[in-house]
Amino acid sequence: MHKRGIKQWVVPGAILASTLVKSGIGLGSYSGQGTPPMFGDYEAQRHWMELTIHLPLRQWYTYDLPYWGLDYPPLTAYVSWLCGIIGAWIEPSWFALGTSRGIETQGSKFFMRSTVTVLDVLVYLPAILMFARTWQGSRSKRTQTIALLTLLFQPALLLIDFGHFQYNSVMLGFALFALNFFATGQDLLGAFFFVLSLGFKQMALYYAPAIGSYLLAKCIYLGPTYGTALFVRLAVITSVTFLLLFLPFLPPFAPISGIFDPITRIFPFARGLFEDKVANFWCASNVLLKWKNWASSSLLVKLSTGLTALGFLPGVVGLLHSGFKHQLSEKAASESHAQNDERLKHAPFLPLLPYALLTSSMSFFLFSFQVHEKTILLPLLPITLLLSGAHVDSSVFSWGALVNNTAVFSMWPLLKRDGLGVQYIATLLLWNRLIGYNPFRNPEKSFVQLLSLAVYSAGIVLHILEFVIAPPSRYPDMYPVLNVLVSTPVFVLTWLWSIKCGIEVAWALGGLGPGSGSVKPVTERRMSVGADGKGSYRQMGGRAVSLGYSESRKRAAYGGSSRASSVVGGEDELTVLPSGRHML
Amino acid sequence: MGILDTMRKTLRLKSSSSNFKNPTQIPPSTEQSAHKPSWFFGEMETSEWDLLVLSTSIKLLLYPAYRSTDFEVHRNWLAITHTLPISKWYLDTTSEWTLDYPPFFAYFEKVLSIPASFIDPKIVDLTNLNYDSWSAIAYQRTTVIITELVLGAALLRFVRGSVDPPTQRIISASLFLHPGFLIVDHIHFQYNGFMFGILLWSILRARDGNKLASGILFAILLNFKHIYMYFAPAYFVYLLRSFCLSPSGQLQIKNFLSLANAVIAVFVVSLGPFALMGQIPQVFSRLFPFTRGLNHAYWAPNFWALVTATDRIFLRYVTRTGTDIAVNLSGVASTSRGLVGDTVFAVLPNVKPIHTFIITLGFQVVWLVKLWQNPTYKSFLTALTLCGYSSFLFGWHVHEKAVLLVLVPLSLLAGERHAYFRTYLIASVAGVFSLFPLLFTPGESLLKVVYSTLWITFVYTAMRRQVYEFPKSLSYVILDTIEKVYLAGFLPLLAFTNFFPALIRWWMSTAVCIPSSKISCPELASRPTGASLTMEFLPLMLTSVYCAVGLVWGFLRLIFIYLHEETTYQGQLSGLR
Repeated sequence: MHKRGIKQWVVPGAILASTLVKSGIGLGSYSGQGTPPMFGDYEAQRHWMELTIHLPLRQWYTYDLPYWGLDYPPLTAYVSWLCGIIGAWIEPSWFALGTSRGIETQGSKFFMRSTVTVLDVLVYLPAILMFARTWQGSRSKRTQTIALLTLLFQPALLLIDFGHFQYNSVMLGFALFALNFFATGQDLLGAFFFVLSLGFKQMALYYAPAIGSYLLAKCIYLGPTYGTALFVRLAVITSVTFLLLFLPFLPPFAPISGIFDPITRIFPFARGLFEDKVANFWCASNVLLKWKNWASSSLLVKLSTGLTALGFLPGVVGLLHSGFKHQLSEKAASESHAQNDERLKHAPFLPLLPYALLTSSMSFFLFSFQVHEKTILLPLLPITLLLSGAHVDSSVFSWGALVNNTAVFSMWPLLKRDGLGVQYIATLLLWNRLIGYNPFRNPEKSFVQLLSLAVYSAGIVLHILEFVIAPPSRYPDMYPVLNVLVSTPVFVLTWLWSIKCGIEVAWALGGLGPGSGSVKPVTERRMSVGADGKGSYRQMGGRAVSLGYSESRKRAAYGGSSRASSVVGGEDELTVLPSGRHML
Repeated sequence: MGILDTMRKTLRLKSSSSNFKNPTQIPPSTEQSAHKPSWFFGEMETSEWDLLVLSTSIKLLLYPAYRSTDFEVHRNWLAITHTLPISKWYLDTTSEWTLDYPPFFAYFEKVLSIPASFIDPKIVDLTNLNYDSWSAIAYQRTTVIITELVLGAALLRFVRGSVDPPTQRIISASLFLHPGFLIVDHIHFQYNGFMFGILLWSILRARDGNKLASGILFAILLNFKHIYMYFAPAYFVYLLRSFCLSPSGQLQIKNFLSLANAVIAVFVVSLGPFALMGQIPQVFSRLFPFTRGLNHAYWAPNFWALVTATDRIFLRYVTRTGTDIAVNLSGVASTSRGLVGDTVFAVLPNVKPIHTFIITLGFQVVWLVKLWQNPTYKSFLTALTLCGYSSFLFGWHVHEKAVLLVLVPLSLLAGERHAYFRTYLIASVAGVFSLFPLLFTPGESLLKVVYSTLWITFVYTAMRRQVYEFPKSLSYVILDTIEKVYLAGFLPLLAFTNFFPALIRWWMSTAVCIPSSKISCPELASRPTGASLTMEFLPLMLTSVYCAVGLVWGFLRLIFIYLHEETTYQGQLSGLR
């Protein structure tokens, strides 16, 4: 008994410690604290709990719109209702209709903070636990633990959800569940969860091009018969989920016009190109170009839509192309189907998905309409997933850490306004130390490391300047604008990098030209035979799916020899290689 | 990578010497060779940096947390020492929080007030009472974190040159991350980390054989905060016997004079200026206000809490059965009122300060005699702990925060063997739990529980491997089971103290809504009237009594272990003379 050591306590301890950090951040102020009459995001969320428990469903999307009218999809509304019911049961004054506006008692704040923590534990935590076991399934326990730590303490998400106050972890958790189920081959469950993600917060649309094209590519990969079947099933499950989510707003529960209330609230095209200072293409280029002076609003909408589409196109094309390239022959597919083969479940191009997600969401962040600085959380998820499994010396690690830190830096004006300065320092310190990142120590100087040094130096100098010198009265926004000018290039480069990686991974998966992808290694199948029952991800799903996989595949393609690839995979005993070699 | 390396390192280090019991065989370890005088940042290992960075970021997050009035106390002292000449420091009454720490602490505040005046002059404005702008909070909280590095440095040095570095590493880490410091210093607001740092430096010097330095450091500490007088008897006996007298009992005149002169010099530096101004009586009247009651508002979990609780039960019994016993009517109302004032028992005979003094001293004689006979480092450490322990248990008007005076020196003994570890475990759980009522706001309450749980889990799992002993007898097993049940009892107690106020409120919801009365706050407690009063106090009383049981039991255990020292194997520190 006494031999049981610390090791088994690492994961529970990490989870408990993350709760500690979250409640620690929660002690600080939140968005709009003490700023009547409108307050901020905290009040918006609280107000939705208030209005959903007191008003009939028909009025949810129409009630007193100027004061934080509900503008998130129905799942948020339902969750708000549930939280409101519980809160009002504990203390009715927290959610009294009208009179509770701007309530700032200690109890109500603690309750609101708790709802975020509880929802995070219910959705995001299981999602990352499952991620570590599926996507990192072939890696050592240690790598899985590190992946978990990386995701648990991701500073940007902690600061926005538990400091600023939002429920992004729920949306991201659902999206991550979708990815996990794609990795285990349960595409229908994956689609269901992605619809939940969309139904919680429309921002999940940033992922839609990548996820949609992945599923389409999967249908193509499976060949005409099985592919079509999957396509129909996906279509049904997606529409049914959407229907269920919107059911109370549809006939017979509501007149047909009822559906327009939520829709117009969720997609507000009437607002401007960008609101605050956001580190995206429009805001950064606006410093020189002054878009509004020479382009009409409708032109800008078209322009931004076009650019966004152009931006995520590489990811989409990459996935679809791989789908075609690896398409199973009819015979192989039916054979696999008869044996319930792994090949049906695991698309070989799955490693492309995180890069495609990054390309797509970053393109939305950079080029689309009405972007908030907080939306950087969406591109951060895929790159943090990639980072979480990467070796500390790899370029993925450097990029992941750089983007995460820059993202937190890009939100500095917001965090400063919220009074979260000390939390900003603390979470950055904590996370970088936890993942073992120190850009100032690493001796090799690749492009990304030099870039990191430059960005961090600029950031630090900017912070010092802001602390010491007040902005000149002619340019009151000088520091936010400088912040945008430092951050945007990093995001643009990350977007380009994700496209480059996508191409490399696609190439490593079997060349870019029309190939003979349908010829499958025998060994892979043989291995999967023994891998029935639970706990088998490490042997089967995990192998083809592991995030380290693409990395090693990529280098294998460049190194040109299987030798090189056997070195990659790094610290793990269970490397990815046997199946990898065959595909070359 | 990062934290995982730290853990692996700890595990590896531990496994390398897990069966290492004989103190004479000191394995050549890297820690030994690292024992060279250099600025301590230079000799820190990766794992130690990890701990420092991670704990500091948690402490940073606590900046906006709840602050007790102690925050304003210290801000006021910054203002007093900065704006007034030294002659007025102990006379000023602008704020109700007058300066009542010894002069070194006042000098310390004077030093801290200099940067404060540059950062925000309003911090050191004497008339700016209850100033709590962000700059003041950030500055004062930062000074706590930075001065706590004294503790960190002492703990690092404890690892270097230790008899058993892996165990000492765990003990050092557990002390640096102690929930007591987190709750009392970083949330409630005090400078205990800094001052316990000085205490540990002093103990460290004693371990390394430099008893003169140890004595000087302790004299300095006394002039920072006089509560450390609790330890003075042990220091006095130890230094007199092992430094001023030779083993055969002859006076070492040189040693005696150097120690006496050094200690006198420390006191001259501290009190000299005030002696010259003729303010010594004034200073002492501030330091020792004998106008307070036996118990603090919230009973510290000591012997008197048990006595007071017994008195309450007797009173219940008397009033129920109508037994003809003289009941002191003023005592009926007094005990649970929660006011700083005189505690009067209803049934039991009343206690005067002199009684507590006699009891404390009477206990102390027992182990001081033992220390005199056996003046080794470990004997000193145990006697020191027992001195702090007995003062905490039997002292007059002891504050619950004083439990740190027990827990900190006791931690140093935790790795000796299973009996010490078990004593440490019970005392730590009870002691830390007894600090919980200091924080009553909901956010901080969650935090203190989560943090303490994490801390005890890791300390327990790490230490248990080091000190495991196979049960030797049936009585051992029975005792072990009872203690486990006691420890498990903290879970229901925690649930009760957290949910009872809400239940009461729900139960009495017909009354007017009391704003945020989920709080079981000692400061607010005088507000409610009538029947709800005892109800409000029930969780506090239970906490204090339950913790007192554990702490008293730990005390008895430690006495027993100490007095039976030679009979069995005692642990590795026994090898140090």
